[in-house]
Amino acid sequence: MSSRRPRSWQSSSASRITEEQINDLVSKLQAVLPEARIRRSDRVSAAKVLQETCNYIRSLHREVDDLSERLSELLASTESSSAQAAIIRSLLM
Amino acid sequence: MQVTEAFKHAFLKQMLLGFQASAVSTKSMGFQERKNAIKLSADVAMAVARGSRKWTRGLIAGLSEERQNRSFLRLILGEQYESLLKPCHSSWKIPRCKKIVRRSLRICWRKQKKNQSGVLARTLVEKRTQELKRLVPGGKSMDGSSLLDETLDYVLSLRAQVDLMQSLLTTFEASKLRSHSKRRLPERKASYVSK
Repeated sequence: MSSRRPRSWQSSSASRITEEQINDLVSKLQAVLPEARIRRSDRVSAAKVLQETCNYIRSLHREVDDLSERLSELLASTESSSAQAAIIRSLLM
Repeated sequence: MQVTEAFKHAFLKQMLLGFQASAVSTKSMGFQERKNAIKLSADVAMAVARGSRKWTRGLIAGLSEERQNRSFLRLILGEQYESLLKPCHSSWKIPRCKKIVRRSLRICWRKQKKNQSGVLARTLVEKRTQELKRLVPGGKSMDGSSLLDETLDYVLSLRAQVDLMQSLLTTFEASKLRSHSKRRLPERKASYVSK
């Protein structure tokens, strides 16, 4: 990525992300993304990390949706008292 | 952000309250209705467990945009609900800045024909940033650096939410196994990891 910055960019810094901020967050996000997606030894572009982050968020949303369905199926055939008992048990673990 | 024991406890406790408030164990509830109630409880639990952040306020605000959620939100959030809905201070700035950014982008394209790869990289980052703004709750009114901070926090919280819901599921399945020892429930593998 070029480090030259024309003056016209600097006036719009409020919604633009600076390169330093990107580099800082690139390393933090890389650490959080699943290993299979981005090899940590490579220097990846900010755009790539942002894209992988978007993909990861979407996949986590799908997981939550799927888990909600499975919980729904399970709770359909559970007494409310034992459902609450199960949660309390998880709380105490 | 660290996923602490305190976070886990707050999440599970809030899930329990949510389940009680929406009576998810009611036999007469339809599958979709129950699923939505569970998902709503899970999102509120995640926001409450995390505390006050731009994305948690954005999440609650987004959820309350749907009328059917409001009574539930008011019930389990109590006084917090009103204060969580106060708009973000910085939101008024952004429409103006978008115009400036677009103008300078146009100037850039004209001046920087030699340095096309640099401009392309910046445009790609801008494009991905817009995508991220749609995915992170409250992202639309965040400036660049807040967005990245909130994204990191949001991703960690989402992961914790998934883990906690999975452990909840496991607990339920285990208790069902105890009461119906004949039935076997299938194992679920993590679906995200791909090659």
